[in-house]
Amino acid sequence: MSNIFSLELFIDSFPILLSRIHITLFIVIVALLLGLVLGTCVAVVRLYRVPVLTQMAIVYVSFIRGIPILVLLFIIYIGLPLLVGTIGLNINRWDTLFFVMIAYVVNTAAFLSEILRSAVAGVEKGQTEAAYSVGLTRWQAFYRIVAPQATKIAIPALGNTVVSLLKDTSLAYTLGVIDIIGVINAISSNTHRSLEAYTAAAFIFFGLSAVMEKGFRWVELRLGVKNTTQGSAQKKLAAVGR
Amino acid sequence: MGFQFDLGFLVYELGIGIRYVPVVFLLSVVPLIIGLLLGTGIAVVRLLSLHPFDKILAMLVIFLRGVPLVLQLTILYLTFSLGFDSLAKALGLAATAKDIPYTFVAIVGLSVNATVYLSEVMRTSLQSVGVGQYEAAYSVGLTTGQTLRRIVLPQALPMAVPLVGSQFISLIKGSAIASLISVVEVINATVYEANGNYKFLEAYVAAGIIYWVLCMGVERLVAWLEARVGIYSRGGVA
Repeated sequence: MSNIFSLELFIDSFPILLSRIHITLFIVIVALLLGLVLGTCVAVVRLYRVPVLTQMAIVYVSFIRGIPILVLLFIIYIGLPLLVGTIGLNINRWDTLFFVMIAYVVNTAAFLSEILRSAVAGVEKGQTEAAYSVGLTRWQAFYRIVAPQATKIAIPALGNTVVSLLKDTSLAYTLGVIDIIGVINAISSNTHRSLEAYTAAAFIFFGLSAVMEKGFRWVELRLGVKNTTQGSAQKKLAAVGR
Repeated sequence: MGFQFDLGFLVYELGIGIRYVPVVFLLSVVPLIIGLLLGTGIAVVRLLSLHPFDKILAMLVIFLRGVPLVLQLTILYLTFSLGFDSLAKALGLAATAKDIPYTFVAIVGLSVNATVYLSEVMRTSLQSVGVGQYEAAYSVGLTTGQTLRRIVLPQALPMAVPLVGSQFISLIKGSAIASLISVVEVINATVYEANGNYKFLEAYVAAGIIYWVLCMGVERLVAWLEARVGIYSRGGVA
């Protein structure tokens, strides 16, 4: 057994892996924030049915939801320099992390736009009508009446999206980003073994996602989100979040 | 330098990729079926609180849900290639790790992943059936097995179908990760063809289009199925 799995190597790999945790967290946070911005734009386009842009948004969301993140990473990594090259800009030498970031933003935004869209659509129309009837403006009605209710609907699905975003970042190493998993190559070239380091990485990812899930559970409690085992709208949404 | 995209090669790559669609189905349908069977089992064990299995299974599910698929597959692949030979020797088998195709390892890994998620899907679906339904079934003298089969499962199904469907789509997309443990599926096949002319973008776009079409097809299928199983729950609050 000891020649298959060495406990010593397993423990020794934790500090090395954890020294690259900031890269993983950086990808998650930037992808989440920029994804929220882009996702909101896409959701607004679809909610207000802006002509032409709506059709583009539908194709974009459908395509992103239909292709593996692995394929998207490579399409952006290879395709973006070619595309930008047509306007005479050379970004071939830019940091790989930049391309990885774009891929995760594009991916996350598609999922978030669906969540935001269905959350807003999940608030009854009567709420907006009631707001108008007491004299609120369009913006006030959205900001004070619809948005708080939509947030409650969206939070569980948002939590799922963030956790799966975290797990998706584990593929960034395929482009050569030295994150938690990318650094395993360096370990295994020293020790000629990698099973222990991969197992350690599994534990780190489990820890991170457990912390995130706890965090979202706490937010749900604070916001008074109803128990997720009830309410079919939320559960359908939670499926969208994956 | 203009934007060079070889449309002819893209079409050629699509033709190559389509030939590997059966591999994608093998890597997603088999884990889906295994996952549904084992996942429903786990869900029932956890719902009925069968001590001590419920606690062990719950811990396993919670742990594996937090680990990315690529790590699960890599760990399985490494354990397999390191441990199989000694295991085979101990069992007196002539086979070595080289004899077992990586596709098999990928199917096992994806099945584990599917089982974990589908057990959660089945658990929430089964939980959505009110406790009164169980009580009513017991009160007319049905056994636990009869209650589950005749009363609870038919009602949980409409809830489960869209969730299982989205899991199926996740599995199709997850099967792409098998390319990283050298299983020849759509991505590896198209990229291999591009090795000669370096038109990797066309290769990946072709692979992307194939996955896209597959996922849209499954989405349609699920929507149709959802309409069918939901036929008895029309009206009411759902």
